[in-house]
Amino acid sequence: MRLGEFFSALLLGGVLVAQPASGKVFLKVSQAELPPARAMGVSDLVFVWPVGNDSLLNKASALGYRVFLEATPGDLSVVADAAEKTNAVGVIFDAGNLDSSASEEVLRSAQSAHAKLSFLLLNPGGKEPQMKARLVVDRDGILQVSSPTSQPWVDSNLALVRFARAFRPEAIPLYSFHWNLSDALRKKLGPTAEDYSLAISEADAFRADVILDLHEGLQKGLAHNEAEAWALWNNVKRYVALQRGESAPGMLSMPLANTGIVTNNYRVSYEGINMMARHNIPFVVLRPADLEAKRLDGLDMLVVFSAPSIAACRVLDDFAKQGGIVVLVNLRGDFPWHSSEPIRRNVQSAVYSVGTGQIVEFAEPVIDPEVFSRDMRRLMGVQRSSLSLWNSLTTIAVPYREKPVGETILNLVNYALEPEPVQVQINGHFSSILYESPEGGCCQSITPIERDGFTEFVIPALIIGGRVHLKPTVARPQL
Amino acid sequence: MRWNRMLLALLLVVIIGIPVVGISAQTIPFVHKKRYAMGTVYEVVAYDTEVARASAVIDKALDEVVRLDAMMSNYKPESDLSRMNRTAHFHSVQIPADLYKVIQESLRYSHLSDGEFDVSVGPVVDLWKAAMQGGPTPTVEDEARARACVGYKKIELIPPDRVEFHSPCMRLDLGSIGKGYAVDRMAEILRAGGVERAYLNAGGSTMYGIGTPPEHAGWTVHLRDPSNRLDPQVVLTENSVSTSEQTAPSALGGDAPGHIVVPASGKPLRTRYAVSVVAKSATASDALSTTLLLLGPEKGEAMIKGLPDVAAIWISRDGEKTIAGRGLHIFLKADSPSIVEESNVENKAVTKPKQN
Repeated sequence: MRLGEFFSALLLGGVLVAQPASGKVFLKVSQAELPPARAMGVSDLVFVWPVGNDSLLNKASALGYRVFLEATPGDLSVVADAAEKTNAVGVIFDAGNLDSSASEEVLRSAQSAHAKLSFLLLNPGGKEPQMKARLVVDRDGILQVSSPTSQPWVDSNLALVRFARAFRPEAIPLYSFHWNLSDALRKKLGPTAEDYSLAISEADAFRADVILDLHEGLQKGLAHNEAEAWALWNNVKRYVALQRGESAPGMLSMPLANTGIVTNNYRVSYEGINMMARHNIPFVVLRPADLEAKRLDGLDMLVVFSAPSIAACRVLDDFAKQGGIVVLVNLRGDFPWHSSEPIRRNVQSAVYSVGTGQIVEFAEPVIDPEVFSRDMRRLMGVQRSSLSLWNSLTTIAVPYREKPVGETILNLVNYALEPEPVQVQINGHFSSILYESPEGGCCQSITPIERDGFTEFVIPALIIGGRVHLKPTVARPQL
Repeated sequence: MRWNRMLLALLLVVIIGIPVVGISAQTIPFVHKKRYAMGTVYEVVAYDTEVARASAVIDKALDEVVRLDAMMSNYKPESDLSRMNRTAHFHSVQIPADLYKVIQESLRYSHLSDGEFDVSVGPVVDLWKAAMQGGPTPTVEDEARARACVGYKKIELIPPDRVEFHSPCMRLDLGSIGKGYAVDRMAEILRAGGVERAYLNAGGSTMYGIGTPPEHAGWTVHLRDPSNRLDPQVVLTENSVSTSEQTAPSALGGDAPGHIVVPASGKPLRTRYAVSVVAKSATASDALSTTLLLLGPEKGEAMIKGLPDVAAIWISRDGEKTIAGRGLHIFLKADSPSIVEESNVENKAVTKPKQN
């Protein structure tokens, strides 16, 4: 049986590329009325082009900010010129409908023409992170309400970030979103401290950069030194500080996962990936070109959304022979494992026994992501479910291995924004478990229970974001 | 897009469209607030000219749900329910008034359904929930052991505020009625706070309408329709609707675990239906939706005959439907918007859908 130890070494030169340990928060502002960068705790500002008055940019720079201008394909060249003239440090490129190769080409060209500027690609499709049971939109006077599920629905950006990582492994994913301001109070007052903090915690947990729209009212309040505005922002700053705490020089993070999702089509695979994130199934996204045996060490399951090549079919077959689980979603072909009869078959799926593993073919695309994710859990079984959370339906947990110290970090994000006890079960043994949070600082010692190869512990009250440090029982080789 | 269609197919309640036009849209803003409690999201949308006051009252109503969750949660070891579940075996214990009331209501529906609705079914449900999480399918012995703990007749309520279990392993789970009770309490608080137009939602499975939205006769709710053909609707005004359905089956086949278990057999319910129930209170609609799903259309119709102000609709995946009840209405817009059926005391419809 291929019981890939979850926290075993995750492949030298493998697909799980080590990443800079933290991303950044960019604030998108509409005016230069702001306190100094030091007071804000955030130093990167984004202005949408055209700004209207170049003096705003100079003023922001004088306050200690690093200024970025946002550009679209239509105005990239003009914006880059303006950025150079106004001492902006870079340009954020919203590629809109351009496909990825075209946007890369545009970026390369712009970068070579403006070597001093930093060009960052904005990933499309970012969502406001939130827990919801319904949508409420106010469009042309219509209020619509819908319920995707009786369980809390979590809008997260994990699928987006993991997809971006797979296709641009050298860059930290950057995304943004618009706050939903259809509610009368929220429109007037803007997002709460909890809303900002959730977005920051999420980006930190996913190792991504995020651009946050700073509400105009808050911006003015901060600039005019209003106590209420500063009370709000000081709460937010605790989350910014937690994020920064991780930026020790040379520290790199590797996402830990035992499920690989093979896809080159974001749209087709998105709902399945999104729900696996919500079910806390640790995963990485692999391009079809990444399907090589040496890159699959440490993985127990492969979920394939893109048609495999002949060579890739052989890799999948071998992966299953060694005990792995392969799931093909809505893919048809004459596959090597078809030489045997399936051990189970119904209208929706066929299951083939291959070596000590199995290959499951789903006849349809992911129709019900909830059922799909549950089926993935069932296929994996309890022993290979390397991470489980109980009674925490609004929490997403994302594990990493820290280089070079070898510590495992479990980032937790609670979308309910209310203190919740979080029961965690994780594969492996650890000599110490410490919990760090913006509210409690670093660190509270957690007493675990060890059971059947798993470590179980409870975070007494996760409010929005927190981080668990798990020190390995034995020294592990450095990756 | 296929996913969008299928997502809608999964909804317990699909869409509420509330046109708000002209002056009212401009003069009556809405406030929308939500809170996570009892394992789901409680939400309130209220139209009110005084946004700040409405917001404060909604907060108070949501606080009440959190309070009830702390009392009735079976996940929290310190809750009153958990304490009762640990200590009430062959020994009466005092419980809070809300908990007493909910158990009392539960027993009422247990009697009405001859035990098909049973809040003591928790030990069996837990077995199947574990299977849904990737654990093994329960053995016959596991089931028998858990089933021995079940039986509403072993629950004794001793007025005004005590309870005793006449079983060594009984454990109550209020998941099939607690949300409804919480929604009723929220409605009381909102009304007392002066909110006159509000829509309350507990996780999409139980909803309640206070007053009406601006310029409309009520809050139109499109109900769960597994066939995607019938588009059943209700218009809520001072009443509630709840929907129950068994957990969607696995694409892998085999024994399908599910969260609704038949108390008598200890096995997950196998049913083709989703059922929606309209009632005057959310407590009633919540409890009755589970009960009527377990009973099925035939026995279910017979049961609700004796109940005033209750209507129900069972719909199967292939579009077979049964509507029953009196006093409240469920509208159907089948293949043509001009065809409208509604339920009342004399008008029950059991029809086959048109074959396309």
